[in-house]
Amino acid sequence: MSIYRGSCLRVNLTKHEIRRTDTPEDGIGGRTWNSVTLLRELGPGIDPLGPENILCISVGPLTGSELIASCRFIASAKSPLTGYLGDSGARGFLGPEMRWAGHDQIIFTGASDRWVYLFIDNGRVEIRDASHLVGLDITETTTRLRRDLCDPDLQVAAIGPAGENLVRFSIISCNLARAAGRTGMGAVMGSKKLKAIVVHGDQPVRPADPERFKKACARLQSNLEGHHEFEARRRYGTTRIMDSLARMGVLPAYHYRSTCFKDLEMVNAEALRRDHVVKAKACYNCNVFCSRYNYTLYGEGEGPEYEAQAAFTVKCGNSDLELAVGVSNAVNRLGLDCISTGEVIAWLMECRHEGVISDADVDNLDLSWGSREALLRLPELIAGREGIGDLLAEGTKRAAQKLGPGAARLTAEVKGLELFSADPRGIKGYALMNAVNSRGGDHYRGEPMIELTDDEDLALRRVGYREAAHRLNDEGKGALVNYAEHLGLLSDSMTICKNISCCMDVVDFDLAAEAYSGLLGREVTPRALWEVCSHVSQVERDFNLREGLRPEDDTLPPRFLEQPIPDGPAKGTTINIHRLVEDYYKEKGW
Amino acid sequence: MCEVACSSFHFGAVSPGLARIRVAKLEETGIDMAVACLSCAEKPCLACPTEALSVGARGEILLDKELCNVCKTCAAACPIGAVGFHEEQPLFCDLCGGVTACVAVCPSGALSYREDFQAVSLKTFLLSQGSSGQKRAHYARVQGEPLRQGWKNGARVDS
Repeated sequence: MSIYRGSCLRVNLTKHEIRRTDTPEDGIGGRTWNSVTLLRELGPGIDPLGPENILCISVGPLTGSELIASCRFIASAKSPLTGYLGDSGARGFLGPEMRWAGHDQIIFTGASDRWVYLFIDNGRVEIRDASHLVGLDITETTTRLRRDLCDPDLQVAAIGPAGENLVRFSIISCNLARAAGRTGMGAVMGSKKLKAIVVHGDQPVRPADPERFKKACARLQSNLEGHHEFEARRRYGTTRIMDSLARMGVLPAYHYRSTCFKDLEMVNAEALRRDHVVKAKACYNCNVFCSRYNYTLYGEGEGPEYEAQAAFTVKCGNSDLELAVGVSNAVNRLGLDCISTGEVIAWLMECRHEGVISDADVDNLDLSWGSREALLRLPELIAGREGIGDLLAEGTKRAAQKLGPGAARLTAEVKGLELFSADPRGIKGYALMNAVNSRGGDHYRGEPMIELTDDEDLALRRVGYREAAHRLNDEGKGALVNYAEHLGLLSDSMTICKNISCCMDVVDFDLAAEAYSGLLGREVTPRALWEVCSHVSQVERDFNLREGLRPEDDTLPPRFLEQPIPDGPAKGTTINIHRLVEDYYKEKGW
Repeated sequence: MCEVACSSFHFGAVSPGLARIRVAKLEETGIDMAVACLSCAEKPCLACPTEALSVGARGEILLDKELCNVCKTCAAACPIGAVGFHEEQPLFCDLCGGVTACVAVCPSGALSYREDFQAVSLKTFLLSQGSSGQKRAHYARVQGEPLRQGWKNGARVDS
């Protein structure tokens, strides 16, 4: 049954042709449309950086509506980093603008022979020359386009030098620091010689049943405002996680060699706020405004979120927060994924520490823990594919194949996608999520946050297992991850911010069904939404199986399976990933 | 959120093009500023050639739709780009008849409405050129400068 069909722009970049169609009928917006499109239209085994790859960018029926934080767009293509299905969402303001311009999905096929950008002003769509933008970073590209087109309110999604140079973990970014960051969607855009997408739209989103829709919006708002983390999230955003993870004993200090970081108080949320945060920032229509603007000796910018903050401090053994924030700003401007970039640098530092690579391997760069030289130089070298950066731009999995088995033993990636800044051994649900989800090493497919709450009633209500409320338990984790994946997919289709919908557990299928029903003016049941998510989750699995995925790939890096957590509150914890994966397969009926 | 609330209050639909308050976002400087009609001391919009505009009891600009011929003189005259257009109708902030939906929704307390206000002078912006969006951006840039100066001198969000 079709719940909502939107309008789709098909942009053939080889022929410079544009035509209009409908979105697929078996989806509910965002990621569901993209995944279905890619399974149907891509042939197996294609080169992700070749013209035969397809880049889909979608919003959904709820994007740009009155629903809080209905702000994201989802970019999907075959990933040049993993070789499997790639997708990533960006918050900010571009998603709503796309919806107001009247385009729910844009499908880019082929590749241009010269650099172009796509210009959209409501129904007017043009492929324009972008040769003057080549080499500019994301801030420069965005600012230049707004200036040249005499409209400071234009929304721009751009790639930086990293995307142009086909770095396999480059990003598509809007509002300068809002990234579709994971799985290398920037490189796919770069391979098509598409530098930017510029959007202006002003066609209103009008709910068909305003009373019902407003009720759903009000329910979300009250769920949020009544949430015990509401004020803390406003104050610190995701950076508050650093202290929590330290308390749980799952910080990835010195690239997972310890869970204790001696200078935690110099780099945590409080330090960031005290020394560098000058202003709160928000995405479209959000009352949590969890983002922050920073000011440092190394320049200014929006962010960092926890992942960048932790990657460039704790994970790399760096106690200089100002440096880390500066690196985060630079990484955003260059157009690199902060998670993968941080992981590449930290891994390289560990390789040097273990003596499995030599100074000559890395152009004599100082790779001691926390090295200022490495943190400042490596992002630039990677984005420009200069020297050692050319190898690192391939991601840790490919780079390790060149640097040898000693280096490969130390990587922290699943299916080629680098892990987040937490130790999976002490959070079993997250460990399982990283092992099995469609993107590879990824915590954000859906957040199994219920295991961090110790709230057994909540766990019972959501997934049917009281035990799932505890992070060190194995029981119920298959069901938990399956639920979290469904909720993640629902959020990626509503295009609502997952920090809210998943991490705060303020959106469920009932609330989503009310929002869809109110907006569309016809009955959409929670069951129907769940079934679409189950269907598309299977579509994503089928895509990856077609690309050669085997069950034995659903695992974690050996270092986490062979050694227990060495120190801290979770000392001695090991992980039985096979048992967890079995439990998940059972839940899926695989 | 103010744009969404404004647009939804007046039209039951959401689009910044329908909003009478617009946020100028100068992303490369970190400055965001909501810009709406300030009922300024100068009121250059009243230069309306068809005399379709007048001043209401709360200081808000009232539009006589019958008289308006959409010449956009008002928008060109507004020094801070606070006049919008939708379906060939100028959009003036009408304070929602006193409800001020934008103030009610603002989660950070950045917006307020006072009946006993002293009309601000926009004299220094009277020569602002360009589209409404460009004028809003210019206004935000000038107004945000002291904030940025503070950051440079070490001011932080909690200080």
